Amino acid sequence: MTTKTETASDCKIVTFTLGKQTFGIDMGALIEIREWDEPTPLPNVPTFIKGVSNLRGNVIPVVGLAERLGWEPSAIHARSCILVVSIGGKQAGFLVDEVNDIVGITRSEIQPAPEVETIESSVIDGLVRISTRAKDGTRDENGTMVLLLDLEALSLTKHLDMAA
Amino acid sequence: MSDELDEIQAIFFEECTEGLTTAEQGLSAMQAGDVSAETIAGVFRAVHSIKGGAGAFGHADLTAFAHKFENVLDEVRAGKIAPTPGVVKVMLSSFDVLSDHVETAKGLAPRPNDAAALAALEKVLADKGADEGGAAAPAAPVPAPVAVAPAAPAEDEFGFTPVAFALDDFDAPAEPAASNASWTIRFKPSRAALANASEPMLLIRELETLGATIESVDVSDVPPLRDLDPEDAYFTWVLSMPGDVPQNDINDCFDFVAPDSLIEVTRNEVEAPAPAFIPVPVIEAAPAAEAATEDLIPFVPVTASIEDLTAQVQQVVADLAATPMTPAPAPVIPTESAAPKPASEASQTIRVDLSKLDLLLNLVGELVIRNSILADRLSPADRQRVELPELARLTRQIQDNVMSLRAQPIKQAFSRVPRMLRDLSVETGKQIELETVGETTEVDKGVIEKIGDPLTHMIRNAADHGLESTEERIAAGKSPAGTIKLSAEQKGARIFVRVQDNGRGINRERVKAKAIEKGIISPDAVLSNEEIDQLICAPGFSTAETISNISGRGVGMDVVRSNVEALGGRVEIHSVPGEGTTFTMILPLTLAILDGMIVRLASQRFVLPLAHVLETVQPEPGQVKRTSPDSEVIDMRGEYVPVKRTTEIFGLNDDRPVEDSLVVIVESEHGKVGLVVDTIDDRREVVIKSLDQNLHPIRGLGGATILGDGSIALILDIEALVASANRYTPKGLAA
Repeated sequence: MTTKTETASDCKIVTFTLGKQTFGIDMGALIEIREWDEPTPLPNVPTFIKGVSNLRGNVIPVVGLAERLGWEPSAIHARSCILVVSIGGKQAGFLVDEVNDIVGITRSEIQPAPEVETIESSVIDGLVRISTRAKDGTRDENGTMVLLLDLEALSLTKHLDMAA
Repeated sequence: MSDELDEIQAIFFEECTEGLTTAEQGLSAMQAGDVSAETIAGVFRAVHSIKGGAGAFGHADLTAFAHKFENVLDEVRAGKIAPTPGVVKVMLSSFDVLSDHVETAKGLAPRPNDAAALAALEKVLADKGADEGGAAAPAAPVPAPVAVAPAAPAEDEFGFTPVAFALDDFDAPAEPAASNASWTIRFKPSRAALANASEPMLLIRELETLGATIESVDVSDVPPLRDLDPEDAYFTWVLSMPGDVPQNDINDCFDFVAPDSLIEVTRNEVEAPAPAFIPVPVIEAAPAAEAATEDLIPFVPVTASIEDLTAQVQQVVADLAATPMTPAPAPVIPTESAAPKPASEASQTIRVDLSKLDLLLNLVGELVIRNSILADRLSPADRQRVELPELARLTRQIQDNVMSLRAQPIKQAFSRVPRMLRDLSVETGKQIELETVGETTEVDKGVIEKIGDPLTHMIRNAADHGLESTEERIAAGKSPAGTIKLSAEQKGARIFVRVQDNGRGINRERVKAKAIEKGIISPDAVLSNEEIDQLICAPGFSTAETISNISGRGVGMDVVRSNVEALGGRVEIHSVPGEGTTFTMILPLTLAILDGMIVRLASQRFVLPLAHVLETVQPEPGQVKRTSPDSEVIDMRGEYVPVKRTTEIFGLNDDRPVEDSLVVIVESEHGKVGLVVDTIDDRREVVIKSLDQNLHPIRGLGGATILGDGSIALILDIEALVASANRYTPKGLAA
């Protein structure tokens, strides 16, 4: 458990919370962060798709990320946000409980998620994700474990192909 | 570098496609009797620029063929070959070969056999000579006096003033090229040449293939290293070229050179002590006169200064090369201003990625919404001020304009038909005449892209099945040549595209027999004439006795119908035995706009495509009857129509009595359905946003739209709703 706060970062992530977990996505994929605004519900879609929203004339799906990842659905509160991301050119909004920070990490610090844990927590949704000890990595003290999300795996078309 | 080249080549191919379209339209017009200088010049320009580009990219076969074709066109343009029907026919078939050559250059087709076409072109060229009795007057028709521009109409069409020369020695032999003469070419690319993707190296290589050698390179313009911009061009090349190379060919090399480049082509006689030449800025093209000595063959060095120069240069050069003349050019009158382009100049266009237009459309739509939200927030007094309505009007105008940017004349879809019919005519041995009407009708780009296939099938069907053979036609007392009339017209928000033949009409007995044989209908079915005609579009139906190359696989008309329906349109067939058949595709004008009825279902707003709405009723008590615990029908004047509630769409609870609601009767291909809605809000045109752009298609939804307040309304897919409703209901009730 070495502390490497001095290391120059080579990629930036946006961190946010879902329940008690901290997650991170690649900053490059982020388009914008919006306030929660009730989306228009859609018929015949999995429950984690909350509906569609109007992003400057573009109709984008809004996903309850917590449900999508198999956690308890997020309750809507004042700090609820929608992270608008671009996944392979397609846009989607993710409902998160709170946006925390933008942090730099080095790719070499990223650790593969322990397989057992991954299977336990995400196989239900068919999620493939990488979890890591980011920043100063010491879990026992101030450090927070950030689960890096593999956005490609969250691609809506991909998931629904499996559902269908 | 090679990537860049590929990109440039891709642009070249795009231009080829456009050029071919232009050429074909021109040739078709000529075939129809329009032999105006403008039409001919248009075809010439198109073929010429294909040739130029092909040369630059090293497509030798294409270049060679285009060159021969261009020669004939040039003669026609100059009025030396009359555009008789025979000549136009040769040009049309040459055009087909040229198209094939372009395909070959793209690597999409094997090299076409162009020997026959080349021979035909040769013959046209040769015959001309015979007609003209070998007159050695290939230049401007009237020997122009000094300082008076000859007024050949074709030249005027090009919009430039030709250089005039005194043609005193008009009778001299028409062979100016002396073998011991040579060309000197000075070429200084414009500073911006590289930025414009005109790589001087390619050009010099092309000149070298013509036999040029680099005499010297002037590097005096190269700045100190500190100031050197690697993107700029600083060199001036001086090349020499053997004198037997036609000046046309040299100038062709410079076809795609950026504006502002310096290009001087001068001719040197060996006896001439020094290549005394005067650069004549062709753009000013003032008649030039200069007292020169007898032993100097005259030349016109040209200084290119605008892009469109090539054609003009070529004209000047053609006149010169063909005219062995005594030099008496008029004094150079340099003027600062370039000659203004005449109005007949082709309209300027730019290529824009469609996705950029869509983005623009989205943003403008949002602007309109923000505008109305802003209006709502203002006090009534402020709202009355002039600025806000003005802003609203402007944004609407922008929106309309952006929408119209997607509209294209339907002739883009029609343009491939003439070629197709010529091929079909050969394959079937039938004489087919094509008439087109309304090809300037503007339709959304998306529609144009998607009607290509249906149109092809309809044309093939008309040529193969509709029209009789020549013998049959004569026997029936008709003109030997069949006519296929292709027309387009706009009626309201719909576009009607018709393919009409004057052939034998649909043989209903045979169609019916075939349908029974194929099991499409039962033997005892009683069908109206219209219903029988519609059977042509049934899947797997084909009456052709033999499967021909053209049609007859039994997929054609089926494909037409499904493609057209996928576009939100329909196909109508009208046939009169012995007189012919008309297929009409009725299509929405745009795929981006939908005429919709905005309704509320469980307090959410939805859009019903108005095209599917038949009527709306407020059900009387007892009018809606239950046929099973979870299915209902509504009694519509004795016809039982299945009823669909929100429950079935969303799985929401909707136990309210149906009498409190409205029932909208909608119809699709599969039948009718009554849709229970709370209220009807509005009827308006909505902009369709596809859901699968960011999501995936959802069954029952045709897309979404953004309403005036910025909220989203889902567009219901009536086809899917009706199809699922009819699954629950016994067929007898649904029909």
